Amino acid sequence: MTQSRTTTSAIYAVVGLLLFLSLWQWAGKAAVAGPVLPAVSDVALTLFSPDNFPLLTRSAFATLASAAKGLLLGGSLAVLLAIVMRLVPPLRPGLDRLALLVNATPPIALGPILIVVFSRSQTPTVLAGIQVFFLLYVAASSGMAASSPTLRDVMTAFGASRWKRLVHLELPSALPHLASGLKAAVSASFIGAILGEWFGAPQGLGLVILNAMQNFQIRLMWAAVTMAVAMSLTGFLIATALEKALARRFSR
Amino acid sequence: MSGAGIEIRNLAKRYTPRRGVIIEAIRHLDLTVAAGEFLAIVGPSGCGKSTLLHLVAGLEPPSSGSIFIGGAVPRELVDRHRLGIAFQDSALLPWLSVESNLALPFKLAGLSVDRNRVLKLIELVGLQGFERARPSQLSGGMRQRAAIARSLCLDPDVLLLDEPFGALDAVTRRRLNIELELIWRDRAITTMLVTHSVEEALFLSDRTVVMETPGAIAHVVEVPFSRPRTPELLRREEFHRLTDQITLWLQP
Repeated sequence: MTQSRTTTSAIYAVVGLLLFLSLWQWAGKAAVAGPVLPAVSDVALTLFSPDNFPLLTRSAFATLASAAKGLLLGGSLAVLLAIVMRLVPPLRPGLDRLALLVNATPPIALGPILIVVFSRSQTPTVLAGIQVFFLLYVAASSGMAASSPTLRDVMTAFGASRWKRLVHLELPSALPHLASGLKAAVSASFIGAILGEWFGAPQGLGLVILNAMQNFQIRLMWAAVTMAVAMSLTGFLIATALEKALARRFSR
Repeated sequence: MSGAGIEIRNLAKRYTPRRGVIIEAIRHLDLTVAAGEFLAIVGPSGCGKSTLLHLVAGLEPPSSGSIFIGGAVPRELVDRHRLGIAFQDSALLPWLSVESNLALPFKLAGLSVDRNRVLKLIELVGLQGFERARPSQLSGGMRQRAAIARSLCLDPDVLLLDEPFGALDAVTRRRLNIELELIWRDRAITTMLVTHSVEEALFLSDRTVVMETPGAIAHVVEVPFSRPRTPELLRREEFHRLTDQITLWLQP
């Protein structure tokens, strides 16, 4: 039953994607929006052409590296602060406000500051980290708070210290929540990385997109954007699989 | 006989959910439980019997009055890992096997896991063959057996049972009562059992306390049946007479 339902939804997904691609193809070939909207086949040809493919993959790897490093740094800091908040509850209001402040600051406004404070090559990583920090802080802290109150009572009555309770109960309970947060954080890390690259990083898809736009290489621009979407989507799918696996393992 | 006696003097517990509202969970309560005694507490729902158990477990502080267990306040006993507890919700960690769940009290106490004791307890509650099973793979009755085995892991001075069989069907409940009596007979740990089943209270306890709302003792019944208690007791007429009498007290 469930098996056939997943098959059905997979079929719908494929049909929807094909429909979207055909519409895009038609709009491009019919020049609905003029040369600025090339057909999907032309974008694919540009992407895989020997002139562009090495540049695009090199840039994609640079962006991927920045996004991944940002995800790791921002994510570690988020989890660490959530743990500190849990162990020292009086710190909670302050940490929550700090996280909100980080979230409320528009990344585009931070870019120039980061370039001054860090460097052009580090800005994509830092911006990616800032973008994921809030999402994962909320996921980690709400995940740890969501552990069953009865389980917490049992642990407390067995004389568990706050640290032991964290290790044996709250962190494992938070894992599925963290994976859900990761789904959103993956896209956020790419947004941060590409935006960071706009401020003059030496390499990366953001740089390719910006250059292509300024030189009116419309197809190259679309190819670079497609590459970014593909990477972000792959990350999202990996995070979804991780979430499923963790939810199976760590919830009842 | 083993374990520590419990001395409860002038106990009161009030909650103030919001300004100007005071909920009296326990109005005034004096109670002594002898070392090695099995005490059952019955009462209408909302009479504060679970609150009483929470206070004895040190999960909350009393508003006034005192609780001493073997001369120590509950928190001291908890910090020495000398308290065993089981709730209506088995509160096993869903991501751990039965065996690992029973090893948890050792880990929380910072002790090395006594695997022989864990396996012996698993056998004692009739869960041999399910050592590696996860809680979700067990029936409700089996989960409660595991929870009770876990509460006995560190051979506690005091055992607190809050409706441990409350969510089970009548047949399973009766079987587990018989098993618990058998287990308890060996070690006679000072035990407080909160239950809404008069039959369960009388079958298991040396004394049954009948509470009234809000949080006071209405009657104390010396249970006149000798140990070992067998299923045959459940059919005796005196048993039924006493059950009926207490049930009558509980009716509003």
